[in-house]
Amino acid sequence: MTTDETRAAAATAPAAPPAATSRAAPATAAALGTLRRPRPPRAGARLVRLYATSRRVPAAVTAVAACAVVLRIALAGHWDTYGALQLPLVFETAAATAITVTVASPLGEPERLTGRWLPYLRLTVTLVLTGVAIGALAAAGTGAHLAGGTLDVLRNVAGITGIGLLCAAVINSGLAWIGPVAFLPPGAYALYTQWHHPALTTPWLWPGRPSRDLGAAICAGLVFAAGVAVITARGARDPAGERD
Amino acid sequence: MTATKAPARPAPVTSPPGLAAARLLRLELRHNAMLWMMPVAVALFWVTAGRKIMATPPLWSLRAAGLQPNAVLAFASPVAGAAAWMGSRESRRRTTDLVNITARPRPVRLLATWAATTCWALVAYLVCVAVVYGVTAHQATWGGPLWWPALVAGASLPAVTALGFAAGALIPSRFTAPLVTIAAFFVLALSTQLIHGSQSYWQISPVVAAPWDIGPDPSAGTFYAYQPDLPLAQVMFLAGLTVAVLGALALPTGAGARSWRRSAMAVTAAGLLAAGTAVALAGTGRLDSHGMIAIPALHDAASDRPLRYTPVCSHTAIPVCLNPAYASYLPATEAALAPVLDQIAGLPGAPARISQAAVAYRQEPGNSVGFGLAGRAISGAPPVFHLLLPAELPGPAITTTEQASQVRSITGPNVIASVTGDGPGASQAQHAVTTALLMAARAVPSHLQPAGTPTASNSVAGPLPGVADGERYVGAAPGSPAYAAARRFATLPAAARRGWLVQHLAALRAGRIGLGQLP
Repeated sequence: MTTDETRAAAATAPAAPPAATSRAAPATAAALGTLRRPRPPRAGARLVRLYATSRRVPAAVTAVAACAVVLRIALAGHWDTYGALQLPLVFETAAATAITVTVASPLGEPERLTGRWLPYLRLTVTLVLTGVAIGALAAAGTGAHLAGGTLDVLRNVAGITGIGLLCAAVINSGLAWIGPVAFLPPGAYALYTQWHHPALTTPWLWPGRPSRDLGAAICAGLVFAAGVAVITARGARDPAGERD
Repeated sequence: MTATKAPARPAPVTSPPGLAAARLLRLELRHNAMLWMMPVAVALFWVTAGRKIMATPPLWSLRAAGLQPNAVLAFASPVAGAAAWMGSRESRRRTTDLVNITARPRPVRLLATWAATTCWALVAYLVCVAVVYGVTAHQATWGGPLWWPALVAGASLPAVTALGFAAGALIPSRFTAPLVTIAAFFVLALSTQLIHGSQSYWQISPVVAAPWDIGPDPSAGTFYAYQPDLPLAQVMFLAGLTVAVLGALALPTGAGARSWRRSAMAVTAAGLLAAGTAVALAGTGRLDSHGMIAIPALHDAASDRPLRYTPVCSHTAIPVCLNPAYASYLPATEAALAPVLDQIAGLPGAPARISQAAVAYRQEPGNSVGFGLAGRAISGAPPVFHLLLPAELPGPAITTTEQASQVRSITGPNVIASVTGDGPGASQAQHAVTTALLMAARAVPSHLQPAGTPTASNSVAGPLPGVADGERYVGAAPGSPAYAAARRFATLPAAARRGWLVQHLAALRAGRIGLGQLP
């Protein structure tokens, strides 16, 4: 466990006095509110910073920014129809995957048991990162021909992030990338079948649907909502004995 | 002083190196992420490739050419991800220091893990190949499996696992595996964007199974042998890349003894040399007339000879003979051409046989490719009409019904035009007689058909099926004097029409018959 991770574990734990032992806890539980020391100033900001550090959020933001930059550079090049359609999806998946891997906790059970702010932190960080990814990729397409436009970015990033979050909760936080990555080839194939029939028209393969397709938007939204809800409430399944 | 004999130290118990390596591999096989990724890879293959491949006509060329790129794309992501995950295992589980003191040097341990990952990836891939080729063997009417495309796709898996594994081992991070998988898909799926013409270095990409500008060529390996030039270069590149990446794993300081690093350096250099040579060879490729990439340094001139086959023929007035690989199209082709052939059978200059011919290709500027018949549509003694089936032309696969419709509306009129000498420079009488025979045959006149076969492939401009340059049915425009003459000629009794044609066909072909001389 690194120094930052240790601090994060301590910071996300409730601010109980050191003297409150487990034996005394039942008896003094009601009194803890009065005994609790006043929270130091900027403790919330420190908590968020330590949480973000332990989840490698800065690296994720860097990865998202890199995706946006590379997408911008790529859009300046010449692409045929297939390439122009599939290009944004690849970067949307990369950004969504970067968000997904931030849910893995290096601290495991101790933090889960003691960190009462964890659900809020997970929710906030996930939503903020998703917003950052959507904003960065949409900004990368400004002034260039981004197939599908901003609505496509919004739908695809949200939906694919939802898949990753669900995988993190169900499979393993370290292997959460399997969902988005496994979704990429069928998504690209769904785009391809718009030219080569029979087309894949199921809204669950939303990348193949037009950006204003309501069914596809609902499916992507449902998956994102489910993923965020599960991650907020339960957190990811963190494998024992593994880190980063 | 007395000398005493100390008991000899027992020799260390050692097992044969091969046995130990096999045991290590067995352990790695049992604890490998790729084992659990296999269902994902197979499912991806089936969703994105299997259904599509099995929907194409049962021609070995189409199925094999479809298998190679689709299998590579379907397997690349999960295989690269699993390999990166396995590569970062020691760091992830914090066992680096623990295993560094074991008897096996780090390169050997890594090699065993990589080999196990590759084994499972190949097992999953071979299952998919077995299904596709097994079903095709059951459905195909002629020919045998084309192994080169399957080999190239198979050779890409060790390369992908090596790259993913190296990334995971050298940059262990929670971001490595996902980013490697997406990078693998991005590079492979979009590398073909850089291909311009047949002399492109980028054809070395394992997703290129045929000249990229024309897409899958249904006639590859049916009239001429499948050319393994490009696949050879691709396999050489992939093998070189694999060796170079695996060698590079042993290069970092601390990876092993100095002798290990020296050997690794030599292996890496050899791998890079092989890969670089393969890329250079791919750049010298050119589109040959049979629609395949020929690389002069790897080309076997003996493989340019036409394949021997016994055609399958119809029982129409004039036999229609197809390559046995296209035997399933014979009933529909026969039914589409029979009315037309009944009109011209026995006439002087009429073809004695309609024979399917190979498509001839030529590279044109940029990404354009021209294709058509190599010679004239009708030639030889006795005359043979050379037919290009719509199904053997490059482009999206067509159904049997679509094929019959095109043969009826395009090939049929052209067969008659080849007898009457109709074409862009022909006389009004020739236009009229051609149209009249089509009316009598109740064939759909195709003079409103646009020139050029539309295809969805990359900028491929091609001729009408069964048409050589300068020989195209023109017919009589509705409302014109020639059209009126055609209607008059078509209403004659069949015997009278035939009798007139037998007497005057030579003069008609020579352009010596005027419109007013038609009965």
